[in-house]
Amino acid sequence: MTLPLTPVWFVALPLLLAFASPLWVRLRLLMPLLVGTPAALLLLAFVLLPEVRTAPLLETIVIAPPLGIHLQLDSASWILVALISFAGLLTNAFIWLADGEPYLRDRRAFVFLLLLIAGCNGMVLTGDLFNLYVFLEIAGVSAYALSALRRDASALEAGLKYLIIGSVAAVFFLFSVVLVYLQTGQLNLAAIAVGFGEIPGPMQILIGLLMLVGLGIKAELFPFNFWVPDIYQGSHPAVAGLYSGLLVKVFLFVLFHLVFLLLADPKVVGIWLMGLGAATMLIAEVVALRQEDLRRMLAYSSLGQIGLITLALGFGVEATTAGGLFHMVNHTLVKLLLFLTAAVLLRSFVSAQLADLAGAGRARPLAAALFVLGALAVMGLPPLSGFASKLWILKGFAEAGVFWPVALILLAALIEAGYYFRWIKVLYDPSVQLQAVHPVGRLAYAPMAVAAGLIILLGVAPFLVDALFSEGAQALLDRGATLTAVLGAGS
Amino acid sequence: MLAFLDDPKVLHGIYALGALTLFFIGLYGLLAKRHLLKMLISIAVMELSVYLLFIGLATSPGETAPILSDGLTAFTDMADPVPQALTLTAIVIGLAVLGLGVSLAIQYHRLTGKVDVASMTELKEL
Amino acid sequence: MSWMLRLLFLAVSLSPAALLMAWDADLSWPLIEGVRLSLTLTPLAGFFLVLLALVAPLIALPMLRRPSDVPSLVLFVLLLIGMQLLLLAGDFVSFFIGWEVMTWSSYLLLLRSPRTDMVTSQSYILFNLASAFLLLAGILVFYSVTGDFLIRAATEVSRPQALSLVVLFGLAFLIKAGTLPLHIWIPRSYDQAPDLFSAFLSGSISKMGVYGLILLLTLFPDALTGFAGRFLNGPAVGYLLAWVGVITSIVATFKAISQEDMKRLLAYSSIAQVGYITTAIGVGSSLALAGALYLALVHTLVKVLLFISVAGIVLQTGQRRFNDLGRLIERMPISFFGVLIGIIGLAGMPPLPGFAAKYLVFVSLVDARWLLLLAAMILASTAAFIYCYKLVYAPFLGHANSPEAREAREAPWPYLVPQVILMGLLVLFGLFPGLAIDVLIDPVLVGLQMAPIGSESWAKLSTAYGGYDGVVLMLVFGTAFALVTGLFLLLRGRMRRAGSPHDLSFAGEVPTAETPLHYGAGMGRELRRIPLVGWILRQGTQGFYLGLAGQMRAAAALLGTLYVGRPQTWILIAVVVFALSLAVQAMMGGL
Repeated sequence: MTLPLTPVWFVALPLLLAFASPLWVRLRLLMPLLVGTPAALLLLAFVLLPEVRTAPLLETIVIAPPLGIHLQLDSASWILVALISFAGLLTNAFIWLADGEPYLRDRRAFVFLLLLIAGCNGMVLTGDLFNLYVFLEIAGVSAYALSALRRDASALEAGLKYLIIGSVAAVFFLFSVVLVYLQTGQLNLAAIAVGFGEIPGPMQILIGLLMLVGLGIKAELFPFNFWVPDIYQGSHPAVAGLYSGLLVKVFLFVLFHLVFLLLADPKVVGIWLMGLGAATMLIAEVVALRQEDLRRMLAYSSLGQIGLITLALGFGVEATTAGGLFHMVNHTLVKLLLFLTAAVLLRSFVSAQLADLAGAGRARPLAAALFVLGALAVMGLPPLSGFASKLWILKGFAEAGVFWPVALILLAALIEAGYYFRWIKVLYDPSVQLQAVHPVGRLAYAPMAVAAGLIILLGVAPFLVDALFSEGAQALLDRGATLTAVLGAGS
Repeated sequence: MLAFLDDPKVLHGIYALGALTLFFIGLYGLLAKRHLLKMLISIAVMELSVYLLFIGLATSPGETAPILSDGLTAFTDMADPVPQALTLTAIVIGLAVLGLGVSLAIQYHRLTGKVDVASMTELKEL
Repeated sequence: MSWMLRLLFLAVSLSPAALLMAWDADLSWPLIEGVRLSLTLTPLAGFFLVLLALVAPLIALPMLRRPSDVPSLVLFVLLLIGMQLLLLAGDFVSFFIGWEVMTWSSYLLLLRSPRTDMVTSQSYILFNLASAFLLLAGILVFYSVTGDFLIRAATEVSRPQALSLVVLFGLAFLIKAGTLPLHIWIPRSYDQAPDLFSAFLSGSISKMGVYGLILLLTLFPDALTGFAGRFLNGPAVGYLLAWVGVITSIVATFKAISQEDMKRLLAYSSIAQVGYITTAIGVGSSLALAGALYLALVHTLVKVLLFISVAGIVLQTGQRRFNDLGRLIERMPISFFGVLIGIIGLAGMPPLPGFAAKYLVFVSLVDARWLLLLAAMILASTAAFIYCYKLVYAPFLGHANSPEAREAREAPWPYLVPQVILMGLLVLFGLFPGLAIDVLIDPVLVGLQMAPIGSESWAKLSTAYGGYDGVVLMLVFGTAFALVTGLFLLLRGRMRRAGSPHDLSFAGEVPTAETPLHYGAGMGRELRRIPLVGWILRQGTQGFYLGLAGQMRAAAALLGTLYVGRPQTWILIAVVVFALSLAVQAMMGGL
């Protein structure tokens, strides 16, 4: 029997491996298997790519009608799935190769990582509102557990805080799911989309706001993102990198997927979301100016970039959307690189405080150089990848003749420079002789080097991938095509 | 005397009111109580209210449980099974989250001796 | 390995020259959908590429001295690549990429100096990035108007669009050039940068702002006259720009005079010189642009020469302050000649080409009938003599004021070779003022569709207002110099040394060993007592920018209070926002 290569593996494989792992504890193969699963998923994604580019892949696993699991892999969700697998692979490889904290190299950590990947893949792929909730909770629970994994006071605090705010978000989201079902009697997203317009206006607004609060908390939009820095600070930097690089992107994608799919005219909501994005970006960048902890600073910087992506996607024009998707990928690469650098620095010097890292540039030249590279990329300086995507977004705004987001984005980038270059300057402080406390294996740099290489490659030759993002943007924006694909031409 | 309860509108209204009351009780507990376990229970109450709303509003008076047994052979007057299935799933998920939360809270208490959410000050803005 | 690396580095430093020789076709490179980088060589860019080609290897050579700093070399290579991209850019995206690469690589180079402090590095990068982002905003406006990114004259631009373009681009380039209220990053960074890199900053990077300003003229062929018509005999908008330039020169000149540190003095002098160039660009006539380009050429040669000489002095003595130096003429004679030739060029005195450049600018001002500006500019360039004199007197003449100055030795040969080459070039251009016009400047003017200056022969500089013969001038001055020097050397044998410098006493005070006895000491202090000049010197924009930074920090602290670490607050805010927006929607939509 041959196993058909279908999108369901993106969810099933990590879930199966994660849940089956207790049975194989004695197997020597277990750890490489757990670590390598994202690689298999990435491979699968690339195998499926040619098919996806011709037509979206739909899959329905019927349990009992109308209950079933609908999965939909189109050009937009492919980008996210590939990104999730790649980010998972890099993080797994780093944890595995860095030979660092034992609690992270434990089987449990990898199980949670796989669950996180499964949840994220599920959220991106699912075509069903309730499954979306289920996957949201799977990703959520594994994230809470990952945060608390270190089991010291700060890690437990991060885990608990994350759990509380995350559960509240989930309750809000579940509330909206329930209302949608009660109003339309449907759970399939496409079917809901058809019926959504007939829901009375006030109820639409209520559902929309409930979803906004639920997903807004998860997607770290202002004013629902006050929890972010605490959680990022308390978690291991590698894990925080996954949150910033992967989890938020998935929630943002889900948010905009819902907006573009459910609403026949996403313009009004788009403008509100742009406003939220702009507020997220500016406030986070300003607050980041005074951060003295590397992880917190990166958390705020991540919020700023999330705001930028929201601003771009909310505009709902193909160029900004494509640029926004591209920026998602770039930001993931960059934040992974930066958080992994933070992990190396934290391990080397036992502190992530600015004052304790002065002069780290000479004790850990490679890590500091990678930090500089990441900082340049995150500010969108050429020739690194952040520039290409930012240019694309800005170009989209300029084409439409809308200049206030351009001004805000550039202002935010300037503020961002204010703190990133402060950190760079301190890292290369010549007056301090810093000694590394713990060694860091050479191999730990390999995943970071891969990320850095991609950042440079995508910056110099973004034309290699730009078609993917254009197609992704079209798939995300073209509501009619999605509806026809799922429900058939008649509807 | 209670015949007016057979009117689905009245019944649904009562369910909705009850669920919302429960929701706000949970929200109150979440915002006002600082004990970690109380907060977790409050979240559970909020979740519960959503389940109740779901089941309550999806079922009308006179409908039977969607189970074929005790001589029932055909689906007549049966409640919509989807909300019930979904609620069961959601309850399981809620339980898992609650379990994780309580275990974290207990570990936190063992480690630091604190149960107050306001005393969690390891991670904060300068 | 190390040898290979060095050779490679030198080869890269010659790349602008190679590019200049070998460039014959246009290149293009796709970036993203709808954006294509295209590289081409325009005459204007060619002129600045010549400057870069001259300067890059001359600064690369001393950079190779052991112990070599490999990151610096790598960053310098990146910087050169960025600048070449910037100059070859046929479209604005490549221009911006080059601009940004130049910005961040020069910032990282600045950090290689152990003296760079936080304020300097932050002001350097923030001003330059502000310039870059203004540029990008301008580019995007340009794109929305014309529909592509190609650098070309923008026709069919409405007035508000043109105004926003001019303001955005203009501010971007003025920051880079460092005109008055936007100059604050320059003195600090030129002072604290690695000594050789200061030469590059002043010689090459500041010219990119000039390049941008001239490029702006090509974007809007009638920008200067089109906006507000003409004032006297020149463009009215340019009049404003010209005053910005002149005020910059005057203030920077007085600031330079009051400096006690060689590199800081040169930094202010650099601002002043770029101020002249800005003035000339403001005039905008063919004569003025020729003057601007000529000034750019001379300033590049002179500043690189001076900064390398100073770098040699700092290398050998470890001192940068005038009060700690002196009497180096006997110990560092080649450096002395370097500085001497340099200041003659800097002051714009005949027979060196600085004179030709200033002559062109003055003539263009006369041509435009902007005589008030002319007077102000003459004031600035005359006052410049004082700091020029200070620059040669204080380190080289007088008494040695520190043990290091007493024991210094001539700078190593990698520092001397560039100095000698630059001196040679300056004398060459002095002998043949028409050479630069004919070979370098006229092609640019033709490319900009302006009337070329032309010259009968390379030895002559000729304008409608008269000209001069460089060979004759050089012969006269050379003869005079030889006569005076010869006379001095002849008579010197009869002079006796008066004694120890501390025999000197004045007004009843006996100087101690600490009393600086050289001519320039305390000059800044005295300057402050002159009414108007003192007022100018006391003004500064630093307070404004520091205040701005303080406000930002206060805003950060204020907004940071939102991010309190209490879950219940987070939930409360979320719920309140939810309820409020529901209420707002209800009121607006009538729920």
